[in-house]
Amino acid sequence: MSDRISISFTGIAKRYDARVVFRSVSGEAGPGEALVITGPNGAGKSTLLAILCGLVRPTRGEVRHLGAGGEAIERDGWRRHLGVVAPSMALYDELTAIENLRFFARVRGLDRDDGALGGLLESVGLEPARRTPVRGFSTGMAQRLKIAQALLHDPAVLLLDEPSSNLDPAGQDWLEGRVRGLVEEGRTVVLATNDRREMEWGRRHVALAG
Amino acid sequence: MSRWLAEVVAVAAKDLRAELRTRVALNALALFALTTLAAVSYTIGPFRLAEEDRPFLLAVLLWIVILFAALAGLDRSFVKEEESRTAPLLRLAAAPSVVWAGKLVYNLCLIVVLTAMLTPLFCVLMGFEVALPWRFAVLLAAGGLGLAVITTIIAAIIAQAMTRGALFSVLSLPLLLPLVIFLIQGTTAVSTGDLETYRNSLRAVLSMTGVMTIASAWLFPLVWRD
Repeated sequence: MSDRISISFTGIAKRYDARVVFRSVSGEAGPGEALVITGPNGAGKSTLLAILCGLVRPTRGEVRHLGAGGEAIERDGWRRHLGVVAPSMALYDELTAIENLRFFARVRGLDRDDGALGGLLESVGLEPARRTPVRGFSTGMAQRLKIAQALLHDPAVLLLDEPSSNLDPAGQDWLEGRVRGLVEEGRTVVLATNDRREMEWGRRHVALAG
Repeated sequence: MSRWLAEVVAVAAKDLRAELRTRVALNALALFALTTLAAVSYTIGPFRLAEEDRPFLLAVLLWIVILFAALAGLDRSFVKEEESRTAPLLRLAAAPSVVWAGKLVYNLCLIVVLTAMLTPLFCVLMGFEVALPWRFAVLLAAGGLGLAVITTIIAAIIAQAMTRGALFSVLSLPLLLPLVIFLIQGTTAVSTGDLETYRNSLRAVLSMTGVMTIASAWLFPLVWRD
């Protein structure tokens, strides 16, 4: 990990036509911190996460990604340091696990050989399925591959939307250990969840009213 | 620059690999092209046209078949990313220029396959004689590039919409028609051996393709991000 990045968002509001998703949400997470976003179904947790990674524009408010010296990073530069896992983001069904990782490594301009990608697959427990098309994966295996994809470029910031969903108990334990380890290493983690166990992964909380 | 090219190749190779495994777009293109060609060759054939009308009318038929086959299959490149929910991760991982150029290369590959398969068959079945074969190949290549540039940016725009199928044709036709008119002129010229008209047509096709390439490269990041 080369950068230490903070995320701060102030007065974020989002509406789709007449439907107000949330009115004014603020929060921040710095390196070595995990921010947990909670709220009932439909409160806008996933929408807020999409706003934080720049995929959705807020109706009002500001999101800032700040470098180690407090300098603001332009929106175009956010993608380099973000790792994202979300149910609304899928990998390529027709490609195998290793082909998916190889593709994302190449479009990110990373120099990762198949040995390194195999090591990453092994770390998420998918090495035996490296040549299996994602179409043949269970939902839990697909979730593990999404996690591998999010960690591929050693990101400074992780945005996780219900990351333990579909994982078996062993997978949930592994993921919790991994996320806690990443936070200890100085990564910034923002987590949207309704899972009681995942809520304990971070000390800072933002509750959306719904 | 070499890194940018490598990333473009990665996007195009990913799409080609996925297409070779599913063959959705290839089947749509081939099915439409072959069905239309079979219908045209059966009803008109090589002998039902007056000799003096044949170069022009056959050029019209050739480009109509290529145009509508392209419209049948080339919207998939972006629509598939949205429908299978892979677009968000692609937006986060790749620069917009890389995605645009990669999809353009992919669409160009499909058009090359389409024209390489269709044109010889058309010439044989319809008795289309070409006096300037190499120049015909250049015109096909330029026309293929123009079609790919226009359909790529329109596919990116309609992928965000709800009524995709109809919108693709409606938005593409006004942009494609001027290009196809010059391609028909040029194809008629390579059949009759009219070098002057061929050169003028090729110049017009390349100019339109150049303008559309610049406009698409400028417009695409706005379409892709928002």
